[in-house]
Order: sequence, then structure tokens, then C-alpha cells
Amino acid sequence: MSDVTQGGPPPAAGPVERIQCQWCQGQNEKTALSCRLCGAPLDVRNLVSDSGWREAPRLKDMTEIHFGQSTCQAEGEIVPVAELALHQGEAVYFEHHVMLWKEESVPLTTLQLQGGFKRLLAGMPFIVSVATGPGRIAFSRDATGELVVLPLHPGMELDVREHAFLLASYSVGYSFVRIKGLYNVLFGGQGMFMDRFVTQQAQGLLILHGYGNVFERTLKQGESILVEPGAFLYKDSAVTMEVQRQQLTSGLFGGFGMSLAKMTGPGRVGIQSMYVHHNTGD
Amino acid sequence: MNGQQPNHSSTRSYSCPYCGGVSDGTGLSCPSCGSPIDVRHIVSPAAWAKVAGQKDMARFDFGKSSCQIEGSYVPVADVKLAQGDGVYFAHHVLLWMEPNVKVSAMSLKGAFKRMLAGMPVVMTQAEGPGRIAFSRDAPGELLALPLQKGETVDVREHLFVMATHSIAYDWFSTNIWYKVRIREGNETKTETVYPLGMMMDRFTAPETPGLLMIHASGDVFVRTLQPGQTILIKPTALLFKDSSVQAQMHFEHPSQSYSFLSGWTQRYIWLRLSGPGRVAIMSAFEPVEHESAQITGCSPATERKW
Repeated sequence: MSDVTQGGPPPAAGPVERIQCQWCQGQNEKTALSCRLCGAPLDVRNLVSDSGWREAPRLKDMTEIHFGQSTCQAEGEIVPVAELALHQGEAVYFEHHVMLWKEESVPLTTLQLQGGFKRLLAGMPFIVSVATGPGRIAFSRDATGELVVLPLHPGMELDVREHAFLLASYSVGYSFVRIKGLYNVLFGGQGMFMDRFVTQQAQGLLILHGYGNVFERTLKQGESILVEPGAFLYKDSAVTMEVQRQQLTSGLFGGFGMSLAKMTGPGRVGIQSMYVHHNTGD
Repeated sequence: MNGQQPNHSSTRSYSCPYCGGVSDGTGLSCPSCGSPIDVRHIVSPAAWAKVAGQKDMARFDFGKSSCQIEGSYVPVADVKLAQGDGVYFAHHVLLWMEPNVKVSAMSLKGAFKRMLAGMPVVMTQAEGPGRIAFSRDAPGELLALPLQKGETVDVREHLFVMATHSIAYDWFSTNIWYKVRIREGNETKTETVYPLGMMMDRFTAPETPGLLMIHASGDVFVRTLQPGQTILIKPTALLFKDSSVQAQMHFEHPSQSYSFLSGWTQRYIWLRLSGPGRVAIMSAFEPVEHESAQITGCSPATERKW
């Protein structure tokens, strides 16, 4: 995971060594064991499969992540918890069903969302909650899986499967995009909307929860991959998604339709290895 | 898989304790099944050996193709198919594939019975060249079972992930069932319960060796039964067995649980497995359906013990 590079203005004492995180590209102190922005271990090799999928970094238990002046600690490994120590005036937002516990002093408010009626129809949370520091609050989702920490640099747009986001810092813009095409809605296995997270000028933090293990792959311009729709977790907004249905038949009783999402680059695609099959119900 | 399997001659050879495959032992993982080399054999005093799951990113070969295991909670089998090589699978385990992989339907005999039993009626097959990946939607282990020529294993239904084309697929009725009387509202009805499922999958390598991959929920433990040796297991915990192992349902009634008013109030439902051969169980298993309901009938392959 580590890649020691030399950069920055050289002080009188000599060049400053930095370790660049291979997951989020954050710069870290030479002595750091894990990335201060995303918590990825810096002392292990980058796990990339032969086919080009990179494993989301397995956060070590009690790894600490910094955003603004607040911190997040990842606790546990099988169903990990994100425990936040919010600094005075800093805030995060989240869907209320992922909240695990909080200190009484942490006030909760709601985020004003547009298109509330559409969200209600689509089964998306009508209200997104906001917690403001100072104080501690913790989040987890109800399944074996991984926390995916995605520090968002300024000017990024990320589309996320609905209900998969755990929390985002207040500096990250939140909206939702309608999945285009009735066919994609009916057979894409993701409902009508995807969450969209956008950063303008400031850096932000987004934490997702993926079922099972999470893998990321960067597609080149025009490169395509077919993915089980239930496994889709996130993508850069530049990546297009189109559901293709293949009818496989054989004999009198044999026959079924198989839907696959064709993802076309350029950009990142994240998938989860445990998923629900919306077509078959199993 | 049997920790006591004989070593194969040369001092430089390494016999995999899991699949019996022989290699030079210099790699990180077994070239036949991907199990870690030199893994300590964790054998309980009761002779169950814990199957060491493949290390993350373990790679192993089959034919001209290869497979890489990725992840650990819900591992993925990432298969690189060579030109002319093929695998078949139940379509719901497909995770992703490259657009150039050719996918088609593979018909199965006995489709109507399979449909009634809730088993997949059509298998999907994929042909190389290209990459295709599989995973199942439960935390657990992916097991690679290399089958030598003539070898046959029986696998519990719905646990199959994929097999190479050289492996023949068949299925058979488990004949493990019992009938219970249950009350729903004001109605009393009789229901047949199949704790192993109505059918079991059977995989054979008739002419050439092949690779079979199955998925287990939780951890996997395996042991080898000697001829005539028996073991009682929870029916829903069975993962696979050699076809030479016989299965029989077994009811056990603790003698203290008899009452003149209500009869036998306590009962355990077991699956008895008789050697010779390997049996494997998984640690995360669902409860036996209607285990405490009144039993009104059972399969002939059943023994009662009071």
C-alpha cells in the first residue's frame, strides 16, 4: 500500500519524506502506519487482482481518520462501526437507520431535501439527519461488510447505490439522480434513484458500507465491464450504466432472463461481493 | 483434506492436506486448490479438521485457465478462462464478467422435478477467453474441490458455485424427509419437511480431472470416516460428502422426556453419516424446519432411538 515519494519544498534540513496513500492519494507523515484521511494501512502492499480489481483497504480495528478538525475511528471488523468525535461546529449527515449511539449533548437536525415526494415514492429516506459537534456519535449498518472511506477531493462527483451511504461530512453536497430509462429502473435492481455526492471547493469525507468485500476498478475511456446490478456500490458520475437483459433458454422448462449492468468508463466503479438478487428474490 | 493422507514419495514433494494435490511446496498456495502451503493442520480431538480458507489473492490453475480468490468475508472467485475452456454455474452467483465472455444456457435433465424441488432448471455456461467472477450472498468460505478421474462428491443443494466442463453434473433424491402436523390459526395441516432439501447435487469427473467450487456459510470442518464408522450431524450443517458415505435420518428421544400425558416431549433430529469417505460441515446453518412439531411420518431411511 505504501509508496514513499519525496515532494514538497525542501527545508534546510533536507527533503521531507511523505507516504502517499494508494487508495485516496492522501499525503501522510513518514512515520504514519495508516492514512490519516481514509485509514487505509500504509504498511501493506496494494491488493490488486490480476483482473484489475483493487480491494478496499481493510481498516485495522481502532484506525483513526481525520476530517476537518474532527476524527473518525473505525471499530470492529466483521460489522464495523464508525465512531465520530465531532469538533465544535462541524457536522455530518446520514440516514437515521444507521445511527448506533450518540452522546446526549450532540444535537440532531434534518437536512432540507428537494423532491421529497419523489423520494417518498421511490422508497428513499424522506429525511436525512444531521449531527453537529461537539460530541461523539457512532454509526453501523446491519450486515457483515466493510467501511469504505472515500475522501472526496474538490470537484468530484460520485454516484452511490441508495441506502449504501453511512455518513458524509457537511461540506459534501448531497442530491440524487434519477436512473434513466424504465428498463434500467425495472431490471437494474437499484430502484429509481442513486445518491449523488458532489464536492465544490472544499474537501469532504464520505463513508459507505459495502456488504461482504468491496472492490474498486478504474475503467479507461470506453472500457466496459458487465456487473451484476445488485453488486453495484458506487461509481464516478462520468461512468455510464446501462442494464442489459439476456434471455437464456433451453428446452421446454428451461429459460430465464439475466440482467447485467454494463458500466463504461472513464472512471472508478466499486462493487460489493454480497448482494441481493432483485430478479430472483434469492 | 485428510490430515493423515500419505505423503507422496520424494522428499521435495508436498501433499496438500486439503485436496491431496502434490506440488513442490515452494509456492505460497497449493496449485490445485489454492489452500495455503504449510498451513498448520488444526485438528480437533474429535478428528474434525478446519479447512483453511484460501489466502486473499490466492491463485491456482485448472486446465489452461486460472482462478484467483479475492476478499475474505464474502470471497470472490475471479476466473480467467483460456480459449476453449469453459465453466458452468447457477446464474445467481455471477458477480461480473468481461463483455467478450460467451454465456449460454445449459439444459438439464429432469427439469420438471427440479422445478418442483426449487432447484435451478437451467445452468449457465461460460466459455473463454475472458474473465468472469462469482460470489454467493453469504459470509463464508469458497472451497475449491479438484476432482480426480472417477471421483464423485455429493453437495447440498444451492451451495454449488461453478464447475469446469470436464465435471458431469447430476442430482438425486435425498430420501431424507419427515411429515409434521402443524396448526395455522384454526386449521391443522400436514407438511413434509426435507432437512437436506429434496435433491442433492452430484458431481463426477468421468474421464479427466476437473475443478468444482462450492460456497459454505461460516467455517468449514472436514473429517474422513472409516468403513462402518458413523457420526451424527445437524442435517442443515452438511456441506458435502463423498458419494460412498451413506446418509440416514435419525430421531433421538431422551428417555427422561417421556410423559404419559403428552408422550415424548423432547426429540432431536440428526443426520447419520456412515463411512467410508469424507464428510464436511459448515458452522453457519439454518435451523431444521418444524423441529419441535409433532411428527406423523418419516422416510424409510430413518432410525428411531429411545
